[in-house]
Amino acid sequence: MKDCATYAPWLGARPGELSASEEERLHEHLATCEACQGRLADLQATTGMLEEALSRTASRRDFTTFADEVMTRIPASAWKSDARPRGVFGTLKAFFGRHRAIAIASAIAPALAAAALYLFIDRSGTPETVPPGVEVVSETLAPVVLDTSDGPVVLVSESDGT
Amino acid sequence: MEVDDLALVERAKAGDAESFRALVVRYQRKVFAVAAGIVKDSDLAWDVAQDAFVRAHQHLGDFKGDSSFSTWLLRIATHISIDALRKERTSRKDAIDDVDESALSDGATGILGTALGSNPQESVLRKELVGKMTEALAEIPAAHRTILVLREVEGLSYEELSERLGVPKGTVMSRLFHARKKMQALLSDYAGLSPRPRRSAAQEDVEP
Repeated sequence: MKDCATYAPWLGARPGELSASEEERLHEHLATCEACQGRLADLQATTGMLEEALSRTASRRDFTTFADEVMTRIPASAWKSDARPRGVFGTLKAFFGRHRAIAIASAIAPALAAAALYLFIDRSGTPETVPPGVEVVSETLAPVVLDTSDGPVVLVSESDGT
Repeated sequence: MEVDDLALVERAKAGDAESFRALVVRYQRKVFAVAAGIVKDSDLAWDVAQDAFVRAHQHLGDFKGDSSFSTWLLRIATHISIDALRKERTSRKDAIDDVDESALSDGATGILGTALGSNPQESVLRKELVGKMTEALAEIPAAHRTILVLREVEGLSYEELSERLGVPKGTVMSRLFHARKKMQALLSDYAGLSPRPRRSAAQEDVEP
């Protein structure tokens, strides 16, 4: 029991925390002391439990407001202006850096708009199929269809189109 | 890709609020867990954790990167936790460090080791006891809570504990021994394994 008063506190040492001599003496003591063998078993069985328990405690808390509360306790003057980007370009760069989704959308949007415009123009420029028997005499706007003995004739005058 | 701590610290030093906020979010739970382990009260731990971040910001200029940012931050958190405990200290003292025969004879040994089996990680009893751990922690003296949290959660070595707490290495080892012994006794009680009636340790709180 007297030896245990010396060696029991050593049981929780990590590798390298005891000198080689101390480790050897502890090893010799453990070989013959059932009480310290039991203490060591208890120690090993409970290793990691405290950290796990406190992590659980922290997980149960709602940290939604924590960072905001910390930031409001720091004076605004702490955030130096030279840490912020200067000029329009720098401001935009910082903004898009924080909002990557918007940055990606901003990059893609012009390309999509160009593609849509191309498709629209391409389709609107395609002439409609002229029905059989209809003669198109002008390609200007505002067509007028005349019934003639030879069938319907489409007339479009420049003055009608304006 | 996650920005590393040192990069965030450098930006925060330059006055970038978003970088400091990122550090807060990254370590808020860890800091809170350490504070909660030492001060017992969850709301007080919340305040302590916030104080730790505010003080860390005030002293960012002192952080040279000799240790990791988290180690430096947790050191601040433990200092504030210990200060908070001192404010609530009682006049009652206890022999928190001496390892004598009475300390060794108080309770059987190996009970938990046997009950938790050869693979304690998978033990159902272990899961139940983890749930009781914070309850048990609240019952032991503040000095014991503190050293246990510093050792088990912060992972400090004997040398670091000695420096942090301002006590000799031998005292560190004996105090840890007592702290663990008390926790194991309480856990044995909860598990119905204790050979002796449980004594309330709530009044044993002493300054670290």
